[in-house]
Amino acid sequence: MATRTTPLPLDALGRGSVALAVVAVQAVAFAAAYSLGRPTLYAGFVVLSAAALGFASRRGLFGVAMAALGSVLLVALGLPLLLFAARQSPSLIAEKATDPGVHRVLYLGVYAPLLAAVASLAFGVPLAYHLSRGFAGQPLVESLVDLPLVVPHSVAGIIILFGFGQGGAFPGLSVLGTLPGMVLALTFVSAPYAVNAAREAFESVEDRLEYAARVHGASPWQAFRRVTGPLAMRGMVTGGVLAWARAVSEFGAVAVVAYSVEFFYPPAGERVVAQHAPVFVYNTYLQGGLDESGAVAALLLGVSAAIFLLVRWLTTDATTTQGVA
Amino acid sequence: MTLAVDIEATFTADGADAFHVAADFEVDPGETVVILGPSGSGKTLLLETVAGFHDHEGTVEHDGLVLSDRPPEGRDFAFVFQDYALFPHMTVTENVEFGQRYREADANPEALLADLGVADLTDRYPPTLSGGEAQRVALARALAVEPTVLLLDEPLSSLDVPTRQSLRADLQDVLAGVTSIYVTHDRTTARALADRIVVMNDGQVVQTGTPEDVFERPASPLVARFTGSNVVPISALSDRASLLDGDRDATHLTVRPEAVELGAHDPDLTGTVERVTREDATSRVTVAVEGVPEPITVFSVDPPAPGTTVSLGFPPERVATCRA
Repeated sequence: MATRTTPLPLDALGRGSVALAVVAVQAVAFAAAYSLGRPTLYAGFVVLSAAALGFASRRGLFGVAMAALGSVLLVALGLPLLLFAARQSPSLIAEKATDPGVHRVLYLGVYAPLLAAVASLAFGVPLAYHLSRGFAGQPLVESLVDLPLVVPHSVAGIIILFGFGQGGAFPGLSVLGTLPGMVLALTFVSAPYAVNAAREAFESVEDRLEYAARVHGASPWQAFRRVTGPLAMRGMVTGGVLAWARAVSEFGAVAVVAYSVEFFYPPAGERVVAQHAPVFVYNTYLQGGLDESGAVAALLLGVSAAIFLLVRWLTTDATTTQGVA
Repeated sequence: MTLAVDIEATFTADGADAFHVAADFEVDPGETVVILGPSGSGKTLLLETVAGFHDHEGTVEHDGLVLSDRPPEGRDFAFVFQDYALFPHMTVTENVEFGQRYREADANPEALLADLGVADLTDRYPPTLSGGEAQRVALARALAVEPTVLLLDEPLSSLDVPTRQSLRADLQDVLAGVTSIYVTHDRTTARALADRIVVMNDGQVVQTGTPEDVFERPASPLVARFTGSNVVPISALSDRASLLDGDRDATHLTVRPEAVELGAHDPDLTGTVERVTREDATSRVTVAVEGVPEPITVFSVDPPAPGTTVSLGFPPERVATCRA
């Protein structure tokens, strides 16, 4: 179908090559600005090049203005990241990367959030299902679920200590400075992401499909397992990844509840003590300064990005529903 | 093996008044009962309630067995939805086989698909099907569980006209001998498929009878209008006695458009042609008559021009009376 008579100048090149060209130009511009010691020049260059791309897409003055304004946010998000990466010392990163103490931190930094994400999903998915179908008193439950999003996380940590610590709900459970306490804190702050993403996914599955399953013989559980669940799978996985990512980055609640914890570390085959990665980065910053904490932060960033991309990649194809849902 | 439905249900939606649905009818073995009513008359809610999707009072009984306290999966019905409601993540075959895992039914899915003319779709996914194909697959899914009663909710109304006509013809074969309840707002479909018709309006049953009863002898002006009959207040007729058939309390007279004689020698009414609409083989002529609130519809192969004065005759054997 030919809907345009003259192709846009950018279209003629193909999307892939345009993206590649833009990235290359940006890389050269950043390298030039950085080597001149004037990163501000690069910020200006980004805004100007976004405006130029807006102009080249023939979106008019409106498109140019929207592209230029939007690029300001990209600068605020991306420039610190670029400067962070550019200013790291490779030898320091290599040194930290071979430090067994850092390995333990990275292991705990992935493992504990994973437990929190699993807990968020295991109990959050049933809750999300009910929220998507509606019930009396729902607004109250919704507020409770979203509460951790607005509570300062150090406050969340204090709440957990009051609720589950000494004299709290489970006298037999030791929370302060333990792995269960850490996972509890991480679950507290990350569960809303799992619940909300799963709930949106359930809401997108039509009631009629569930009716169709039921009337043709499936029990509620069978209808969930064969119809609603698979159709909402991507949303559930997204919720899990969001909860996991949120837990990886959690600082406040963990610093209060479980500053450092003892856990079983398989590579060493024994129990070791370590801190949650964000806490460790903060600690390194206080004790060793910006350069050392930067190297550890770079490692944590790399591991987080790698796992995040891996899960995204795994969930793109495995759970597709032939273009639906 | 008769299905006896006698239910009442109340539905509330945010910001709307409670909607009350009540119905009492039976479906004999092998019979197709069409629930006919305008949009918003509660017919879909009624069908969904029979299927067990909504809470209700009263009973649904099949063969003396009370089903109304059972969940949808315990009623042994099948359902064809207006918008197909096929499972998008399963192939056509998987959709058709879906319920066979739970019901004792050994109908061959491939044979069902072949009977419905969609044998070549087996490995396709629903989002890639046309509306007509999807509804045939949905029908096969419903028949595959060998239901005691087949419930169909406006299965033709999402389809374009040629597809609708071809599927309606196939449905005549499929529904023959199958105990079924068929919901529609389309009187043509109702007449083509029904053994009996339950007319609903505003959540209530307003007439139950054979298609002949409902179309030729509507119980009220409302049913007459909805089934496409002409409605004439008796006060507008000059010679009442010959048409009234003894019903002294009747307020209105109804007659099918195809029964009205255009240019009758001994006219019952005289009016002016308002509009002529060409249809397939004939033309629909609307005639405005003084003293009759609604114009009279007549079919004619040789229609008079708009503005012409015409006489209208009502054959006594095709005229029925009713009370408002």
